[in-house]
Amino acid sequence: MPKTDMTTTTPLLEVVDIHKRFTGVYALRGVSLAFERGQIYHLLGENGCGKSTLIKIISGAQPPDEGELVIEGVRHSKLSPLESLSAGIETVYQDLSLLPNMSVAENVALTSELAEHAGRLARTFDRRALAQTAARALEAVGLPGDANFQKTLIEQLPLATRQLVAIARAIASEAKFVIMDEPTTSLTQKEVDNLIAVLARLRADGVAVLFVSHKLDECYAIGGEVIVLRDGQKMAQGPIENYTKAQISELMTGKHLSTERYRAQGEAGATQVVLDVQGLGRKGQFADVSFKLHKGEILGVTGLLDSGRNELARALAGVAPADMGTVTLDGMRVRLHSPADAKAQRIGYVPEDRLNEGLFLDKPIRDNVVTAMIASLRDRFGQIDRKRAQELAERTVKDLQIATPDVDKPVQSLSGGNQQRVLIGRWLAIDPRVLILHGPTVGVDVGSKDIIYRIMQRLSKEGIGIILISDDLPELLQNSDRILMMKKGRVANEYRADRLNEADLYHALLSEAA
Amino acid sequence: MSESIRRTGSETMPQHVAEVAPRVRKGNLYAQLMRNPEWFTVGLIVVTCLVVGSLNPRFFQFATLFDMLHSATTVSLFALGTLVVLASGGIDVSFTAIAALTMYSITKAVFAWWPECPFALILLAGAIGGVVLGVINGMLVHRLKAPSLIVTIGTQYLYRGLLLTFVGTQFFMNIPHSMDTFGRLPLFFYHTPDGLRAVLPVSVLALVIAAVVTWWLLNRTMMGRGVYAMGGSLAIAERLGYNLRAIHLFVFGYTGLLAGVAGILHVSTNRLANPFDLVGTELDVIAAVILGGARITGGTGTVVGTLLGVVLVTLINSVLILVGVPSTWQKVIIGAFILVAGTLFALGRRQ
Repeated sequence: MPKTDMTTTTPLLEVVDIHKRFTGVYALRGVSLAFERGQIYHLLGENGCGKSTLIKIISGAQPPDEGELVIEGVRHSKLSPLESLSAGIETVYQDLSLLPNMSVAENVALTSELAEHAGRLARTFDRRALAQTAARALEAVGLPGDANFQKTLIEQLPLATRQLVAIARAIASEAKFVIMDEPTTSLTQKEVDNLIAVLARLRADGVAVLFVSHKLDECYAIGGEVIVLRDGQKMAQGPIENYTKAQISELMTGKHLSTERYRAQGEAGATQVVLDVQGLGRKGQFADVSFKLHKGEILGVTGLLDSGRNELARALAGVAPADMGTVTLDGMRVRLHSPADAKAQRIGYVPEDRLNEGLFLDKPIRDNVVTAMIASLRDRFGQIDRKRAQELAERTVKDLQIATPDVDKPVQSLSGGNQQRVLIGRWLAIDPRVLILHGPTVGVDVGSKDIIYRIMQRLSKEGIGIILISDDLPELLQNSDRILMMKKGRVANEYRADRLNEADLYHALLSEAA
Repeated sequence: MSESIRRTGSETMPQHVAEVAPRVRKGNLYAQLMRNPEWFTVGLIVVTCLVVGSLNPRFFQFATLFDMLHSATTVSLFALGTLVVLASGGIDVSFTAIAALTMYSITKAVFAWWPECPFALILLAGAIGGVVLGVINGMLVHRLKAPSLIVTIGTQYLYRGLLLTFVGTQFFMNIPHSMDTFGRLPLFFYHTPDGLRAVLPVSVLALVIAAVVTWWLLNRTMMGRGVYAMGGSLAIAERLGYNLRAIHLFVFGYTGLLAGVAGILHVSTNRLANPFDLVGTELDVIAAVILGGARITGGTGTVVGTLLGVVLVTLINSVLILVGVPSTWQKVIIGAFILVAGTLFALGRRQ
């Protein structure tokens, strides 16, 4: 796509020699970048490379220690959130930053209204203008702009729609520069395609987009320039087609990564069935799901967001119990009516939303690791044996290569990949028979992905049956023995992972026929 | 291997986009109730009226309505303030202490220095006093970043302690002339069949005005939207550029204002200034607002719902006596209603 040259040759936004330290540790070390109108930039880098800090500085959430920001030739030593918004810089945060209790229209249009009037609150607003702004922005991202949809509260919308609403908000005002922080992590392939179409339209309107993602395939599909950060420094910038995936991975991690299968050929494992699910269902969500999981097998499960894959995972973990069918573990029928039941049967569940459903973020790594097996750490007085807890946590940290100097650190001090390993470690502590991994590498960087995959393979060799629920198709193909495809709440098909390529699986995912 | 994705990506057309769009939950009773929790309150009010009315037909006359409006005025002003605080994600338990401090201090001051002070000025003084005390709450909540419950428990004790220690502890059995006159002023009256004079006092207008103003502030001004935004998520509201300091000061200042006005009206209509009055009724007020559909977790609540909640609580407090139920049962019934409402809303949310 040609760069739209608007009357001037100055870049839309420049960051010049930005430095940022947090309690002595460098987050950014002299990063300089220039952004042109109508271009898409992919900001890539492992967790902790300084991506989020850079975004926060541009959006005005944090001031830089050194360096400056130049917006259309005007120099600023720092920006406030309102200044950044007034300059046409909009951010779609990873958490979307939508107000759940307010309507779609208000979420889309009130922020720009606020920015236009320098944040003044003591005044009335023009409701008709608000509705018009909202309608225009909603239609631009392909959502309905009618009054009914505008009045809907955010908390009533599914995640994918919220995503689009957040983007609509970003372009509701005269946005010139839109930052999207991992906008695709919660989307299925089909929804990602929609997003890509929206991006193309933004670009055609001369808007610059800074796109942060861990999914390299998407970056190639979107096209544009790639910017790679590592350890707070810029490693590369240029058209994405000039780099291969391997090159980008290498720039990001500083080491060479393989993209081939982690699962050894024909590693179906022992023939002993560990988990036998027959006719499992939950009213309105999924029905008639039957499969067998063997000892040491990795069974992939995929499907679109409404396919019932998430609900199946939650039913097996006892979170939202099934109301039909049977589950047999090592030949014994079991009831899974609560997470405690699942734990007692030694079924481990690593949820997709690890921040909200899995981890005690402000508690030490040690407490997070031992929480599932806390009962067995009691000494004769019913007190927790701290020494054993410490040993167990330290062993887990070593075993799973969790990067931390000390198990006393709160879990939120870790990167996404390390947090995920803490969660896996928690379940290893109960010596699981079955481990359910739900989107284990969502929001995790390339290096950490590699480690998690290797851990997964090792655990399966130790005889644990693993159910891998994911919409990351390469991940499924690289790691599992078989893949179940779910559609509309039922198992539509089963594939051998080693006899399939990604294009076929993607096609099967999107095809309507069950 | 990204071939397939790229192909589909470039061919995707806008109308395709709408396909993932609106999958809004709709239809079932719970979802409806979640959107309009006021209907539940209406239901309880209707049931209570029918039960009481069938046991004692005298219930259905204007005199009952007048009585209820009279006793609901103070509670309504408190409740509207509480609604604003709850909508902003906070909670205030100091408003009764604000009302008590302003009403008693002002009554005493008027007596001592200017017994002929016009009522409008007294009301204004009450409003200003309330705003000042409320703004102190707002500053503390914003500055300390402490939970507003803790802060206002603190200021409740503080304001009440100051009142009893420095201002006085004696009742005023007669009140300044202008207040007394205002308290007796009828907006409307008629004679009941048994010869009693049923009066609708002028102070009821304050209820109407406060309700309209609160509605307008919450729904038609940016400040009102800011209140709900902050109640939805403090962190997100800040990121979107809402001035949290201004919103905190407004929310607690406005609650203080309503409390100050309510205090003065309370003295005028009861013809008694009692420094031990009001404090201790915070939970009744919060209960009324919750019964009106506001969530204790913030970000929701409407003026209409709040008024209905007040009606329900007032109804139970004042009419049970008509059907011969001992007044100690009031608490039992209100408690039961709150539990039922809470259960219903919780179930609705889980759906």
